Amino acid sequence: MMPFEIAEPRSLREAIGLLGRDDPSVRPIAGGTALMLMMKAGVFRPTRLVSLRSIEPAFARTTLGAEGELRIGALASLSSLEHSQAVLNGAPVIAKALRTLSNVRVRNVATVGGHLAHADPHMDLPPVLIALGARVSVLGPSCDRLIPVENLFAGYYETVLARDELIAELIVPPQGGRRAAYLKCTTRSADDWPALGVAVALDTDGTAVHEARIVISAATHKPTRPVAAEAILRDGISDAVLRRAGAAAAEEAGVISDTHGSAAYKRQLVRVYVERAVRAALAIPTGKQRRA
Amino acid sequence: MVPTAAQQTIRFTLNGKPVEARILPHHNLVEMLQDFGLFGARESCGQGLCGCCTVLVNGNAVSGCLYLAAFIDGADVVTVEHLASAGTLSPVQEAFLETGAFQCGFCTPGFVLMVHQLLDRNPEPTEEDIRHYLSGNLCRCASYREIIQAVRSAAEKRKSCATG
Ligand SMILES: Cc1cc2nc3c(=O)[nH]c(=O)nc-3n(C[C@H](O)[C@H](O)[C@H](O)COP(=O)(O)OP(=O)(O)OC[C@H]3O[C@@H](n4cnc5c(N)ncnc54)[C@H](O)[C@@H]3O)c2cc1C
Ligand code: FES
Ligand code: FES
Repeated sequence: MMPFEIAEPRSLREAIGLLGRDDPSVRPIAGGTALMLMMKAGVFRPTRLVSLRSIEPAFARTTLGAEGELRIGALASLSSLEHSQAVLNGAPVIAKALRTLSNVRVRNVATVGGHLAHADPHMDLPPVLIALGARVSVLGPSCDRLIPVENLFAGYYETVLARDELIAELIVPPQGGRRAAYLKCTTRSADDWPALGVAVALDTDGTAVHEARIVISAATHKPTRPVAAEAILRDGISDAVLRRAGAAAAEEAGVISDTHGSAAYKRQLVRVYVERAVRAALAIPTGKQRRA
Repeated sequence: MVPTAAQQTIRFTLNGKPVEARILPHHNLVEMLQDFGLFGARESCGQGLCGCCTVLVNGNAVSGCLYLAAFIDGADVVTVEHLASAGTLSPVQEAFLETGAFQCGFCTPGFVLMVHQLLDRNPEPTEEDIRHYLSGNLCRCASYREIIQAVRSAAEKRKSCATG
């Protein structure tokens, strides 16, 4: 790796001051797992990294409010979430998705803020968090803002954050009786990056569906909600509706070809996995399981 | 304060002893440990995938190849060399020897440290737990079957140690 300097500010505000808006070679570093790979590959050559490791410890905390709202500090490690009672109670689908996210060592070091800001479309938590309606609180030099995770990603490895804005906290709203699931499909080894991720969150009453959110990731250039498929689910859950929703999602998701599979293949995956994810969320057996 | 790109001094605990190191900000943990004559953590894939570079930092396993040496300032660092520092092998190391859980041995330090972590957190892991926990460690000689046996045997040894 090329030489660079590291600044070690003691507060998030101080870190923001050290970033500046104009120099692309100055960046924040949290766990460093994503940045180290980019620096080793020479894709990113920093002059200075602003480390977030010594900022206020409150930004590494996770709490569950009385109403069921989860607040997760940007510096919380992924493994702290995986084992957090607050997460297990407030949004267990997050803890479950983390089990197959990378490996123990990466989860021990990687942070929630770094995970979201990295904006690799193959990552596991963005689709889950979008399905849950989560937001990030973002601090900047002149103003602070709340951004729905759904609007955080501008494209392939790109967010809407300015260079001197930092994610401070992730806020997952109370889930009430909503049921959620996340499924991913890897086409090579089990621990490979997925060819497709599908997250769903459903507000249901028997077979009636009040609200449905579906998020497609990995097969698309950024996490995407197939809104026509969501509308179809509101017709109420039946085998025919699930099939139509899967087909609609495959049609509208904007699936792209890459090393994990062709667009045609991934459209077929979307068709199958949307249906499976809804069944998983509602604990409805698949056709095969019922026949068995 | 912004230090320059020149060397910086960090202080930390290495295998139980307070130490000081002069490092460059872009050096990783594996490179720094080599300056201390510690070669148990070795860089292989360099991408966080194989576990050959496993080091314990503040009680958690990390990939030394993706960890900046500068981040070690003030931390408690344990390497595989510490396990037998009292002159006797740890139950995990004994179990690896007895089951022959390696061929070339290149991946072994990483596996041994990960198994210590696993058994500290989960003293009686199922086969599924073992496979899941070690999924980020690769053995190119494919000693996986023996490694899983070694974990079981190490769990037994530790249990009998604990109960006297
Ligand atoms: C071997 C390996 C396997 C992986 N497998 C998976 C997988 O299966 N699924 C998956 O989802 N992910 C996977 N990942 C990616 C992993 O999730 C990310 O590397 C990690 O979450 C990044 O977090 P970090 O704290 O290390 O970020 P860093 O590397 O520190 O930073 C990443 C980016 O975020 C910026 N940044 C950091 N913190 C903030 C902040 N608070 N506000 C604004 N910007 C910030 C940095 O400037 C940088 O651009 C894998 C990574 C590795 C190394
Ligand atoms: S060398 Fe670090 S994980 Fe492979
Ligand atoms: S024993 Fe050779 S790589 Fe594992």
